[in-house]
Amino acid sequence: MEYRNVLTTCPYCGTSCALYLQVLDGKVVGTLPVKGHPVSQGALCIKGWNAHGFIHHPDRLTRPLIREKDSFREASWDEAYDLIASKFSALKEEPGPDSMAVLSSAKCTNEENYLLQKFTRAVLGTNNVDHCARL
Amino acid sequence: MWGPQIVAYACTYCSYPGADLAGTSRIKYSPNVNIIRVLCSGRVSPELILRTFREGADGVLVLGCHYGDCHFISGNHRTAKRVAVLKRVLEYSGIDPNRLRLEWVSASEGARFAQVVDEFTETVRQLEPMERVLA
Amino acid sequence: MNRREPLKSAIEELLDDVDGVLALRSTSGHVAPHLFCGRQELEELAVSPKYSLPATLRLIQAAHPEARLGIVCRGCEERGLIEMAKRNQINLDLVTVIGLACTPEEAEECRCAKPYPSVLVETHVGERAEPVVDQLVEELRQKDVAQRMEFWRKHFDRCIKCYACRNACPQCFCPECTLEEGLWVETGEVPPTYPTFHLIRAMHTAGKCVGCRECELSCPAGIPLTTLYALIREDVREMFGYEPGADLDQQPPLVLPVEVES
Repeated sequence: MEYRNVLTTCPYCGTSCALYLQVLDGKVVGTLPVKGHPVSQGALCIKGWNAHGFIHHPDRLTRPLIREKDSFREASWDEAYDLIASKFSALKEEPGPDSMAVLSSAKCTNEENYLLQKFTRAVLGTNNVDHCARL
Repeated sequence: MWGPQIVAYACTYCSYPGADLAGTSRIKYSPNVNIIRVLCSGRVSPELILRTFREGADGVLVLGCHYGDCHFISGNHRTAKRVAVLKRVLEYSGIDPNRLRLEWVSASEGARFAQVVDEFTETVRQLEPMERVLA
Repeated sequence: MNRREPLKSAIEELLDDVDGVLALRSTSGHVAPHLFCGRQELEELAVSPKYSLPATLRLIQAAHPEARLGIVCRGCEERGLIEMAKRNQINLDLVTVIGLACTPEEAEECRCAKPYPSVLVETHVGERAEPVVDQLVEELRQKDVAQRMEFWRKHFDRCIKCYACRNACPQCFCPECTLEEGLWVETGEVPPTYPTFHLIRAMHTAGKCVGCRECELSCPAGIPLTTLYALIREDVREMFGYEPGADLDQQPPLVLPVEVES
C-alpha cells in the first residue's frame, strides 16, 4: 500500500500551474493543487483538475496502428516508421513539400516542439507547421 | 400591465386534487398561476426551484400534503426542511425569500387552494419582475 | 511553538500499531499529503499548509478497506471525518486520529470557530487557539437584499466553473454530481448562469459543511464561498439543532422526518 504525491507541471496552457499527481499503488488517481506555489497559488482550472485523465485512459494509444481500408491493425515501430518515411519521401517528390503539414501539441516539451519544427522546415522542406494552442 | 408569473408545484395525491376541487367548485383564483403536477412535493428539489426562477418565474409555490397524509409517508417532511433552508439561501444571496412559499393543501381544501394562490400572487406582485433581478 | 517534533514522535509511536499514517510531506520545497509507512520517511514530515487529508483517507480506504490507518487531523479535518463517517464514506473503526491544533495565525487566516480537534483524538499536539469570529459573515449580514445581490453578482460573475470548490470539498463524494447535470448547469457556459450553480452547491452543503475553507482556498477567482456556507450552517443549527462534525451520534437533519407533535 503506497500513496504519494508527485510534483509536476500542468501540460495544458502557458501558465504552467504546479500540480500534484496523486499516485496510489502505482496508478495515478487524481490531482491536487500545490498550496503556496508562487505561480498557481494553490489553484487549478478545470483542465488542471483533470490533467491526469489521459494517463490511464483506455482510449490512449500505446502501440503504432496502421490503417487498412476502414480499420486499424497493430504494427511494430520499425514497420510504422518505414511506412511514414516512404510515404513522406514520395509526397516530397510529387506533389511537393507544401502538400504536407505538421500539427504539434501542448503536451510536447519545448525541446520536442523545436525538433518538430526543425524537421518540418529542414527535412520536409515546408513552412506548414502549427500548434494546437493556436487553433 | 405586468402580472407576476407564478409556478405552483402541486402533489398528485393532495394538493392537485385540491386545485381540481377549486376548479370544479367554480371558485375564482388568480390566473397568473401555472400549475405543474408532481408525484410528491418531495420531488421538488432545490435545483428544480432555482431553475424555475431562472426560467422567469417570479414566484414559486410548493404545495404538498399535511403531515401524516403524504402518500409516500415522509416526502413532505423533506420538502419542509429543504424549502426552509432554501429560503435562507435566497435571502443571503439577495433574492427575496417571499418569492418561495410552501403550503399544505389537502384534497378537500379547494377554497384554501384559491386563497393561498391569491395571497401569494399579491405578495409577488409587490416585488420586481424576476427577469430584472437576474438580468 | 514547535509542533513538528511532538508530531513526529506521535507518528513514530503510532507506526507500531498501524499500516500507515497520513500526514504532510515536504519534497522539493513543496508540501503535499503523504502516507508514511516507515520511520525514515518522517525526516520529511511537514506541518503546514493544510490540505484536505480526510478526502485522501477516503481514497486510500476505498482501495484498501482492511488497512489500519493513522491520520493527522486539525479541527476542521476531524469534523470532516465525522461527517464522512456518518455517510458511510469512511470506516472510523480502523482509523486512529492524531490531533493537531492550529496556531492563532492559522485560525485567523481560516476565520475558524474551532481550530482544534477534540472528539476523535487519542493524542493531541499543539496548544489550542481561541476561536475567531468571522468578520465577513457579519458584514454580509449587515447588507440589505439589493446590496447582497450586488455583492454576490460581483463575485459569481468571476466564476470560471473549474469545479475546484467541489473537488476540494471533503464532503463532496457523489459519483454523479448534480452540478454536472446538464439540466441544471449548462455545458459551455462560463460564468455559469446566475444563480443556479452556486446556490445548488450552497444547498447541498447544508448539514454537511464543516467550515474547512478548502473550497474558498482552492478557488482561482477568490470567491468568498464560505461566508454563504457559514450562514447556512448557523441556520441549520438554529432550525434543527444540528452542528456538522460535532459528534458521531447526531444524524444529519435533512434526511430525517420532521418531529411532529401528534
